[in-house]
Amino acid sequence: MADTTLTAPRSRNRGLNLRFWLPLFWVVLLILAAVFAPWVAPRDPLAQDLFLERLPPFFMKGTEPGYWLGTDSLGRDVLSRMIYGARIALIVSFTAATLTCIFGSVLGLVAGYFGGWWDTVISRLVDIWMSFPPVLFAVLLVAVMGTGLWSVIAAIVLIDWTRFARVIRAETLVQARMDYVDSARIGGARRISTLVSEILPNVLPSIIALLTLEMGIAVIVEAILSFVNLSISSDDPTWGSMIAEGRGAIYFAWWVLLFPLIALFLTVLSFSQLGEGMKQRFDPVLQ
Amino acid sequence: MTDRPTLDILQLTVTLRGGRKLLRDVSLKVQPGEVRALVGESGAGKSMIGKAVLGILPPNIKPTEGEILLDTHHLNAMTPVTRRRTVSKIASLIPQDPLTALNPVRKIGPQIVDPLIHIHGWSRDKARERARELLDRVQIRNTDRVLQSYPHELSGGMRQRVLIASAFAPSPRLIVADEPTTALDVTVQKQILRLIRELQQETGTAVLFVTHDMGVVAKISQRVSVLFAGRVMEDAATEDVFRNPQHPYTEALIAATPSYSDLNRSFSPVPPALIADLHAKIAAEEAAS
Amino acid sequence: MSVDVLTRPLFSVRGLCLSFPDQSRKPLFGAAPRIEVLKGLDLDIPEGRITGIVGESGSGKSTLGRVLVRLLTPDAGQVLLDGKDIAHLDEDALRPLRRDLQMIFQDPMSSLNPRHNVARIITTPMKRYGLGGSHADALAALERVGLGAAFAERYPHELSGGQRQRVGIARAIALKPRFILADEIVSGLDVSSQAQVLSLLKDLARDMGLTVAFISHDLSVIRHLCDDVIVLNLGEILESGSVEQVFDNPQSEVTKTLLDAIPLPELDPDWFD
Repeated sequence: MADTTLTAPRSRNRGLNLRFWLPLFWVVLLILAAVFAPWVAPRDPLAQDLFLERLPPFFMKGTEPGYWLGTDSLGRDVLSRMIYGARIALIVSFTAATLTCIFGSVLGLVAGYFGGWWDTVISRLVDIWMSFPPVLFAVLLVAVMGTGLWSVIAAIVLIDWTRFARVIRAETLVQARMDYVDSARIGGARRISTLVSEILPNVLPSIIALLTLEMGIAVIVEAILSFVNLSISSDDPTWGSMIAEGRGAIYFAWWVLLFPLIALFLTVLSFSQLGEGMKQRFDPVLQ
Repeated sequence: MTDRPTLDILQLTVTLRGGRKLLRDVSLKVQPGEVRALVGESGAGKSMIGKAVLGILPPNIKPTEGEILLDTHHLNAMTPVTRRRTVSKIASLIPQDPLTALNPVRKIGPQIVDPLIHIHGWSRDKARERARELLDRVQIRNTDRVLQSYPHELSGGMRQRVLIASAFAPSPRLIVADEPTTALDVTVQKQILRLIRELQQETGTAVLFVTHDMGVVAKISQRVSVLFAGRVMEDAATEDVFRNPQHPYTEALIAATPSYSDLNRSFSPVPPALIADLHAKIAAEEAAS
Repeated sequence: MSVDVLTRPLFSVRGLCLSFPDQSRKPLFGAAPRIEVLKGLDLDIPEGRITGIVGESGSGKSTLGRVLVRLLTPDAGQVLLDGKDIAHLDEDALRPLRRDLQMIFQDPMSSLNPRHNVARIITTPMKRYGLGGSHADALAALERVGLGAAFAERYPHELSGGQRQRVGIARAIALKPRFILADEIVSGLDVSSQAQVLSLLKDLARDMGLTVAFISHDLSVIRHLCDDVIVLNLGEILESGSVEQVFDNPQSEVTKTLLDAIPLPELDPDWFD
């Protein structure tokens, strides 16, 4: 009685998923710009030229050729600064988000699956941690540790690991009650291998969605810290510091503020959409 | 019977968005006071018929041909709003899963009483009185306590009793029972079947009883429609179906139903050859039309 | 065809007690009161036979099953497997035994990892016990349960209920166990798939000389499948014996009620009376 009826034929071809491809396009563009910044950027991002201060972008009157998005109040090229700023934004977002994700997810998985004391300790820690106001916490941390790339990354990890720990713990609790977990025990699996090879793949879509979301958040936190001058040294161009500097000239040189703001917005949006898009594209269950 | 049927379905075709026909040319009648069983395996479309009658098909599934006559109303010719109003006054549903059919955060009382007030326009006192009467009738002791409880405080059998009371409360002309005992133990199943039968006989309500169990069909129904792949294979009196099934698929379904009293037959699934044969016949018909 | 020869029991259960905390009645401080689910059971599961465990929901039949395969640890009592008490062994000590004690679950959707394909579901436990685990082994196991090679690459959600349940059986028999616990394995299936899964289980049990504990509330199925039957009610054994004994001459009222409540596929105008 060989059964060859396949009830649900597999279909992986579901048309062009814009929710996946558009954000991917922006992120790839950003990565390329960041990696090849010295070759891509039309000007030196730090070169000042007071004779060329507050040049408007290319589509307005009174522009200078080569300064596509205009210049700031010290005559520095906005586009070049944005391209170099993408470097820092991406380094911070990838490193900080990955570290946050690993740290928070591991604690969440352990609390959710092993339960008992593990869960009590980790959950209480999360509760206590979350009652600090996060931005104040970050500002304080950087103030104590000193500015610099690693301080910013450390601040982000320390603020945001609770987000992962909480969500992943809840998700793990649900999965741990499924019969396939008992079935792994029946099949002789060790607890740790059940966690890694049975539960983790089912929690992974949530982890990825959170990770991409966290990348966006990291960009924002970095910008906030730059804005209050607590990020990287003030010489390095970052989107946050550009926004901070542009704020003073918003009525007569709005482009200094607006373009990095748009880049920030698009990046954060792209990361969060990419997470959803990836979930839909690579999850066998949703296909 | 010369009575006008309570429900008269004429050549109903129901189509999934994209063109696949989930029901095809389904015709059946339910007379007042009669229980008509709809039996078939999953995917046969048996629940679909009840949903089409009640107008609760999912949004991507639409009746495309045929007529549904409920009492004197041509349902498929009505606008969705008048249709819903008309149907909810004449027909009710006993659902499959007694847990998800009740709102978990509301007490039982209002869940029975509110429809009587809002749909049927009864006064609150009359509705409450009727709810008590029906709960009493489905052998729920301590009616007041049950009216004050939340669904999770009751057992599965109790919840199903509540839903039966709720379905019969407005004295509907038709009840659609969609596998109402599938989630229950056999002993509770028997009590629930008995209740549905008694209430139905007392009130003369017509019942469309959806089930996959030929045993239940034998006990509760007077007539039966056997469905396969969205089509009616056999429509006959239940007595005749068990004495002398006309269609080989009906025969196979009866044979596949386990019975402790008949040791000669043991785990005989519907023969795959028969299923292939039926599918081939359907494909040929489809090609011809 | 009653077998009067006393077969050696694979499992001997003595004085088995188990209770769960009742969280809904837990006081603000202190421990929740406990609900006794199994109240001192004594029973034997004879080797090489199919034993039905029947009862209504709340009878403790699934709990008993889960104690046999030691997914649950009893409060008190002995679970003798080949005369050795496994009731309180820890997970490390159990692991070598687990290969012999397999289980098929009620809900095949939840018991198959949705993110693993069928081949991986079947071969992972095989690899753990050093019983092969190649793709060919997966195909062989699938063939034994009547599923074609095309199924190896499928994910559980792409299968029908009956096919999923056969994958569950394939996973269990791939380890060549001595004992299989089948917990309500056909309650969600169509009659046709039900018949296929049951005859498959019966054939495999005979061919492989398996001992099977078959938990069900459906006495018709038990009558056809099992050699012996144990009737549970509210955590106690009401009666047990060969199916012929119990069905032909039921001793307890509960068994009679259970038998009486089954709607047989035949006309019986007096059934409700």
